[in-house]
Amino acid sequence: MSIASALNSALSGLTATSRRAEILSSNVANAVTPGYARREVGLRAAVLGGTGQGVSISGIIRHVDKPLLADRRLAQAADADRSTRASFLAQVERTLGTPDSPGSLAARLAAFDAALVEAAGRPESQAKLGNVLATAKSLISGMATATRDIQTARMTADRQIAEQVGLLNSTLRKVHDLNVDLQSFTGAGRDVSALLDERQRLVDRIASIVPLREVERQGNQIALFTLGGAPLLEGNPVEIGFVSTPTITADMTQALVGLSGITLNGRPVETSGPTSPILGGSLGALFAVRDDLATGAQGKLDAMARDLVERFADPALDPTRAPGAPGLFTDAGAAFLPVDEAGIAGRLRINTAVDPAEGGALFRLRDGLGAATEGPPGDATLLNALHGALTGTRALASGGFPAGLRSFAGLTAEILSDTASRRLSGEADQAFASARLNALADLEAQNGIDTDQEMQSLLTIEKHYAANARVIQTVEELMDILIRLGQ
Amino acid sequence: MTRVSVGDASLANLLARQGAQLRAGVNRAAAEIASGRPTDIGQALRGDFSPLLALDASLTRLKAYARNAGEAGLYAASQQAAIRGLSSLASGLGSTIMRSKDLVTPAQVDVFGSDARGRLASAIGMLNAQPAGRAVFSGMASGTLPLGAAEDMLDALQTAAAGATTASQVASAVADWFSSATGYGAFYQGAGPLTSPPIAPGETADLSVTANDPVIKETLMGFALGALLDRGVLFGVPEERADLAQRAGETLQRSQDGRITLAARIGTVEAQIEAATTRNSAEETALGILRSEQGSVDPYEAATRLEELRSQLESLYLITARVSRLSLVDYLR
Repeated sequence: MSIASALNSALSGLTATSRRAEILSSNVANAVTPGYARREVGLRAAVLGGTGQGVSISGIIRHVDKPLLADRRLAQAADADRSTRASFLAQVERTLGTPDSPGSLAARLAAFDAALVEAAGRPESQAKLGNVLATAKSLISGMATATRDIQTARMTADRQIAEQVGLLNSTLRKVHDLNVDLQSFTGAGRDVSALLDERQRLVDRIASIVPLREVERQGNQIALFTLGGAPLLEGNPVEIGFVSTPTITADMTQALVGLSGITLNGRPVETSGPTSPILGGSLGALFAVRDDLATGAQGKLDAMARDLVERFADPALDPTRAPGAPGLFTDAGAAFLPVDEAGIAGRLRINTAVDPAEGGALFRLRDGLGAATEGPPGDATLLNALHGALTGTRALASGGFPAGLRSFAGLTAEILSDTASRRLSGEADQAFASARLNALADLEAQNGIDTDQEMQSLLTIEKHYAANARVIQTVEELMDILIRLGQ
Repeated sequence: MTRVSVGDASLANLLARQGAQLRAGVNRAAAEIASGRPTDIGQALRGDFSPLLALDASLTRLKAYARNAGEAGLYAASQQAAIRGLSSLASGLGSTIMRSKDLVTPAQVDVFGSDARGRLASAIGMLNAQPAGRAVFSGMASGTLPLGAAEDMLDALQTAAAGATTASQVASAVADWFSSATGYGAFYQGAGPLTSPPIAPGETADLSVTANDPVIKETLMGFALGALLDRGVLFGVPEERADLAQRAGETLQRSQDGRITLAARIGTVEAQIEAATTRNSAEETALGILRSEQGSVDPYEAATRLEELRSQLESLYLITARVSRLSLVDYLR
């Protein structure tokens, strides 16, 4: 019965068109929703008994460019990695100072140097001796501040690792729950696009923490691995373990006891080096900050502090000082021992013998730390020697520097320059990573909702709806004619 | 069917990013023009701070040297003034007695004696000068006056010369007192020579003259010999008194060459300090110029950059406005 089948076809056309309108309205409504992938109604010609019987809906097609998505996620991880490192390096540069900043270590050192020169010119002047003490204090307080900043950055990194591990764990559980939901709904033949969107959004959220590889399994399931090969979600989510350390001092490292690493389902994994499976995202970068970059910066600072202490602890410098007694700069009041190098920059103090605020006297800067009574006020021999000790060249006792003789100012300049070059190369890396992420995100955005295109489709939907309705009207008229024939 | 489409978000992202980049550039250029310094000195110097830090340290140190040189200059000038004063005191006294060589009456000797006593007090006062609170002839003991009162010196000398009956005995007792460690050596309250203060990089000023200097000692001895006459030494022996006055005049005359040499020595140091000051300030100027070249931006370049960014940003605003109005929805009525 062909008229009836025409009616059927027209009806199926109407249904398909209204479905398209429905999906289109959803697309337009979600034009700016992050993670929303454009949908389309899949249509095919319905075939019944070998002949065409209108249109049928094959399903809802969700447009996702999977390779692009994977690339963007990797770029996201790389960007997070580079920017975490770069922002730490910039912080170190800020805390040590540049030639522009008045409070930089180099400026404090120059002031101390000049104060010694002036005191040697007027050794009897209490004001000039006081200025030597004040500038020496300012120099060590600059080092202490830098140490505190670096250790605070380590603590912040440690806390952020804990936060990110928490986010990873909770997100992996949510993704797992969605996997379970999708399994039951996919079988029931429903539109699961919204669930897929949600799952994609969740995975995107953790993609900057570790570089992820998503592997599709049957029935809309996914498994997640890190790029380094560690499974995060395979059937069941992996439990990632980390214990936060609230207070971190310069001598604490992961290698020695004190700081936590990462465990996957209770099994410890490397957090650095080529075998580590978690590197490449912000998590790996935070571990690098906590365990490598910060300790490196602190090591430089400690080497500088040690050099300063040792320059003024030379036994030939001040004959009044008892052998083994601390020099002008002390390790928290005591003489410095080479085994205590870690964190010395934060513990430097001025010898209390010269500090009137600590019961000492300024004249000991001029007459010697062990001087019991004031010597001739015009004797600048020791002050000249102190200036010589500061400006003379000597070999560094600490490791990690190229061999050679350096003045203290030369060492300071070297460390500041090194910090700045590291920051610059970190920023260059970050600029590259973020340019790549931007490019990929742009490509992804191009695949997003185009309202103009949706409007065009709306025009065709309108037209098709009207056409189908018209067909129904015509069929009705045809049927009416047939009915009138019978009367 | 493949349909070519570009998502709405793409254009919005692009415009927002371009806008943010341009605005950051504008901020940067504006800050650089306003401050004259690059916003990122690390980048401007490609991470090598060593030359700039060395410049900064030198500039700071040169300021300290300039202050030192100023103080050393004052010290040397005070010494010079005192030596000049000593010379004029000595030549005044020495020439009176030389002129009256042939007719030395007891009255003249008395006048000479009291004149010498006054001049000794003046000479010691000059050597005790304390410009800016520093005793300039005390050496390292700059807080202590180098010499005590003239009368104390004369008391000691009188004790030393007690029992002397001839002018030559008195003269040798006085000479012994001046060369002995318990005599003038104890009367001199100062310490060893002052440590040479640094006045320029690697250069010190030699300010080692103290009241213990042989020339100064000899001059004081001349005055002291005359002053002893006023104290009544060799009383009642007019010939010997005249002889002692003669010896006092000769000693003062003899020490004149020494004083000139001493003044020349201090003058050399003064000239050296002067030269160091000039050199320091020239170096400071030169380094200052170098510093401003190294750590500053070319204002012309920064202004050009700002102008370029401004026009780019304006074009971007225009494009944003135009493109945002382009929507099919507006035309579907």
